[in-house]
Amino acid sequence: MLTNEEILRVKDRALAHLRSIYGDDAETIIADRRYGFISGVLKDVVKKPAIERLAWSDKIDRVIVNRWLGIPIFLAVMYGMFQFTFTLSAPLMDWISAGFDFIAARAVGISPDWLGSLIGNGIIGGVGTVLTFVPPIFLLFIAIAVLEDSGYMARAAFVMDRLMHKIGLHGRSFIPMILGFGCNIPAIMATRTIENRRDRLITILINPLMSCGARLPIYILLAGAFFPAYRGLVVFSMYLIGIILAILMALIFRKWLLPGPIGHFVMELPPYRLPTITGVLVHMWERGKHFLIKAGTIIAGVVILVWLLSSMPWGVQYAGPDSWIGYLGRLIAPIFGPCGFGQWQAAVSLFFGLLAKETVVGTMGAIFAVKEGGLGVAIASQLGWTPLIAFSFMVFSLLYVPCVATIATIKAETNSWKWPAFTVGYELVLAWIMATLIYQIGRLLGLG
Amino acid sequence: MTKKLNIALVGNPNSGKTTVFNNLTGTHQYVGNWPGVTVEKKEGTCRYQDYQINVADLPGVYSLTAYSLDEIIARDFIVEEKPDVVVDIVDAGNLERNLYLTIQLLEMGARLIVALNMMDEAGGRGYHIDLEHLSYHLGSPVVPMVASRNRGTQELLGQIAKMAESRVRPSGLRIDYGREVEQEIRKLDDLISQSALSRLYPARWLAVKLLEEDEEITKKFKEGNVD
Repeated sequence: MLTNEEILRVKDRALAHLRSIYGDDAETIIADRRYGFISGVLKDVVKKPAIERLAWSDKIDRVIVNRWLGIPIFLAVMYGMFQFTFTLSAPLMDWISAGFDFIAARAVGISPDWLGSLIGNGIIGGVGTVLTFVPPIFLLFIAIAVLEDSGYMARAAFVMDRLMHKIGLHGRSFIPMILGFGCNIPAIMATRTIENRRDRLITILINPLMSCGARLPIYILLAGAFFPAYRGLVVFSMYLIGIILAILMALIFRKWLLPGPIGHFVMELPPYRLPTITGVLVHMWERGKHFLIKAGTIIAGVVILVWLLSSMPWGVQYAGPDSWIGYLGRLIAPIFGPCGFGQWQAAVSLFFGLLAKETVVGTMGAIFAVKEGGLGVAIASQLGWTPLIAFSFMVFSLLYVPCVATIATIKAETNSWKWPAFTVGYELVLAWIMATLIYQIGRLLGLG
Repeated sequence: MTKKLNIALVGNPNSGKTTVFNNLTGTHQYVGNWPGVTVEKKEGTCRYQDYQINVADLPGVYSLTAYSLDEIIARDFIVEEKPDVVVDIVDAGNLERNLYLTIQLLEMGARLIVALNMMDEAGGRGYHIDLEHLSYHLGSPVVPMVASRNRGTQELLGQIAKMAESRVRPSGLRIDYGREVEQEIRKLDDLISQSALSRLYPARWLAVKLLEEDEEITKKFKEGNVD
């Protein structure tokens, strides 16, 4: 159409003309005028108090986002969050697991034997174990919701962004990363606010390194069993390792994979606000319900499959090395030898964890069934793990492959299978290298 | 007989938009599987008098440029879906920043209601806001609210119904961009009025967007050349 071409020509001439007059883009002039209009309206409409006091928000920010104190405060807040989660959830977890033990003991007596075993060993051992972690997960989500609703998370992102910008990474990446503590899927969707495609892609690729709620059961189980005195610290270290590796990988990707200039950004710091109880509970539930839904669907399905594979061929010792699952495990296990956890039980748990990371614990629960003293003790005694191996396993679980739902989200957001495939690949390699380094160096240092 | 109404909620991030959405529709009305951020389009419904109101919760944005996906999503929804009423949630304590979005919505010709949220905080800081004057300047109804305590929801619904009843098209806010810019806008406006795109969007708005070098709108004009 002729008019459109003409319109675009007139536009170009207008832009050149305006630039020559104002020495600035028309866009800037237009924005200035809009703000001018607003300030005119406000002068008429708003009466401010005579002495505009420094809002208390700004006063708090002087400390919270302080150049030197910002990062230590962020780390302290995170550490406090895990201590809160553990201290409050420990008794609740004990009650829940005592309840499941009680039911499991009844269930094993059910005839026929296979049904008793399915319910007692499989479903209660697996799904029950995963459900034991409802209190810490929900408490963690409460803590995250309080930090978000109060406005602190935006500050944490601001502080971390400043650090990232200094080392040559795009700012604004850290809000999606902090969202990743809840679940990587909304976090990856949140990268849509990043304008530059390259920066957005890098933020997507590193996001699965942020430890989501689904990985928490693994840490709680192993930290509780192998590091009873330092549980909070060990779990905290997982999150920290995730953040540090995310930053490192971002640097690597930015340098070799997607080089280019960094975008600039302005970050809004919303005023602090007292979180409301309803708001916090709604946010907790929004995140937490997915965990419950998964427990009833994917995890239950996997657990039944694990039970079946553990009971086959007919008449074999349940979850013995000659069962089908034992066979599968022995096939994969050698890969993990250098990492310290070359036992077939660990291998199959990680294998089923590809679907959703909670199933790592669910699978272990179904394999070991519910034992006196709990699953942690069973792992220590039957697999002969040391704290070093447990730590190496936790790091591997943190890093290796995003869950299938996250993979699907990466596919949807990048509109190609190339990037999810790349993420799976680099994460597997990274996980294996990190776990091996930790185990081998730890052994050299005589840590077991 | 129930009458159907489509409304959209827009507002800056942290303006309490999600709280207003929850107040209107109840907490169980989320569509989209992964909440936590308002990137996905969330929808809910509510009833008011004999109205069945569909509420779309648009992404929180500061502006309606084409620089981020969120802004494009919000803008396209308002332009293309043409909701009966657009409710702009404004943080009363941050008027200057929030109104930037408001005036862009008005320039687009949206049928707008300004929901002035967090009136308690603004009051606590000693601000006094003259609602009548604000409404006059913007040419839109202004409803004071404290969404966190569910205050003002009924009044907002009342205004929505009232606006739906009146068949008057909004005149659209006209900001004076200064003599030189206005001259160019007028030239473009005349030409655009003859083009097919002006049937979809207000011509003056398109002219301003072209001068802002808005990528999406410029692209639309370029694509028009193909056929």
